Amino acid sequence: MKFELDVVLIEERCRSSALAARLASAVAPEVEVRYVPDGRESARPLAGERDPFAAAKRRLVVMERRAPFLMGCPAGSAEFACCGYLVLVTASNCPMDCSYCFLQEYVADNPGLQVYANYAAAFDELERLGRSAPGRSFRVGTGELADSLAFDTLTAISRDLVEYFAQRENLLLELKTKTDEVGNLLTMDPCGRTLVSWTLSPTRVYESSEHRTAPPAARIEAARGVLEAGYKVGFHLDPLIAYPEAEHDYGELIENLFDVIPPQRISFVSMGGLRMTPALRAVARRRFPGDPMLLAGEEVLGRDGRMRSFTPLRMRLFASIRARIERRAPKMPLYLCMESASAYERVFGATPATPAALGERLVGR
Amino acid sequence: MNVGTVESRIRAWAEKRRLPEAHLVRWLALAQEDRAALLETAERLRLRTGQFVTALELLEEIALRDGESIAGVLARSEIRRILEGTGSAPGRAHSLVEQLRVARFPRLKRTIERLRTEIVGLALPPGIRVVLPVDLGSDELRIEIRANGGAELERLICAIDRHAAGLRRIAEMLGGADEV
Repeated sequence: MKFELDVVLIEERCRSSALAARLASAVAPEVEVRYVPDGRESARPLAGERDPFAAAKRRLVVMERRAPFLMGCPAGSAEFACCGYLVLVTASNCPMDCSYCFLQEYVADNPGLQVYANYAAAFDELERLGRSAPGRSFRVGTGELADSLAFDTLTAISRDLVEYFAQRENLLLELKTKTDEVGNLLTMDPCGRTLVSWTLSPTRVYESSEHRTAPPAARIEAARGVLEAGYKVGFHLDPLIAYPEAEHDYGELIENLFDVIPPQRISFVSMGGLRMTPALRAVARRRFPGDPMLLAGEEVLGRDGRMRSFTPLRMRLFASIRARIERRAPKMPLYLCMESASAYERVFGATPATPAALGERLVGR
Repeated sequence: MNVGTVESRIRAWAEKRRLPEAHLVRWLALAQEDRAALLETAERLRLRTGQFVTALELLEEIALRDGESIAGVLARSEIRRILEGTGSAPGRAHSLVEQLRVARFPRLKRTIERLRTEIVGLALPPGIRVVLPVDLGSDELRIEIRANGGAELERLICAIDRHAAGLRRIAEMLGGADEV
């Protein structure tokens, strides 16, 4: 585990949980472990901190989740051509600190790192989901409100998840990460029901904006490792930042990826342009005043209230990356995240499938 | 310029213009040569408060993106021409903000210029207006027709039909089908 913690706070009602026991024995001896009556209070921002969001990334709270574990993807909307992704919330917030991260706004009121000791209750929700639509397949991921693997050497939650999904015909688990923490995964047999996906960026973006993440080459190497261990793999080129050298850099990244991972063994590649609400942009600029990538794509305000690179620039970058991928992998399943149906048509020359149909296609490969 | 003099002049300018405290703090936090260059600009062009706030934000972003100081950005020839020009101060203040926007969004400005050139090149009759989305924030092209009477409306619709290929090209450019 590469991330430093100051304290682990365990909610009293989770004191005897397996997760609390694993964590308490796995954290470094200098990390304080304390018990608290209500984890929700411990996850709130601390008054008096200069950067409460950064401070919260050093405080891990083991607590009970009171809300459902399964939810629709928060990025999903009728405005966009979506992929039917479902989110399983086993944790919240992330020890890495990407300057563009939407969590800076999304979990600003409860930024403490949270892992949910009662995560096994999620399996009941998944059972109901699986039974709700016989014949349909669902892609369910843990990497939306947290990185799926950042704390896995401490929590080992991935083992229980991989084991559960290995026995489910119509559910596919997606573990999304920017780390190379795949040790636990290599000890398991996913039976083809777990996909590990990496967000990939060119080195220039990684160095400028993706603080404390694994370098792109290490992510690709980790992908090769899990592929050989029987996992499916996918990649998210998201956020794409349309800086002046972007077409060249993303093209090079794709070549590097395909040189290590045979493209026909990649389940999908998604693309999404950098998008930020004005409020998120203000927070990001305040927290990372020296990161030029937050400004490099000539972002303007769009109709949905988010700032993105102006439309011709963004569409051109999508099309260029699509062409670059298809040169070596003409049948690669590709999709866009948080873009309209008209953007989808411009990039792919076809009407987007429904979220359910696209989701099925991504699960099936 | 003496450091103390610059600071007292900045504070005087801020008080006179009722510059909010947060912006004054940002200004004073700049490097000495940057705050002095900004003061010279504000005084010389008699910037209004809103113009100053916009200019400060644009300058900070240009400087960060281009790896240059604010004083360096203000020393660029296209900016110096405005600062040292002979027109009215309010006119030059407006030009400064516009020029900073061009520097902050160079590819956007070039793309808008190309699209406008295409639109002008169509030589559409009066009564037809082609409207680009604000800041090209979407790919929607709007065409407005203003007609008095059925005959004029028909004539304008026919004109649009005659220019369909050119209009289509503009719509495609909005979707990235051109060099940016």
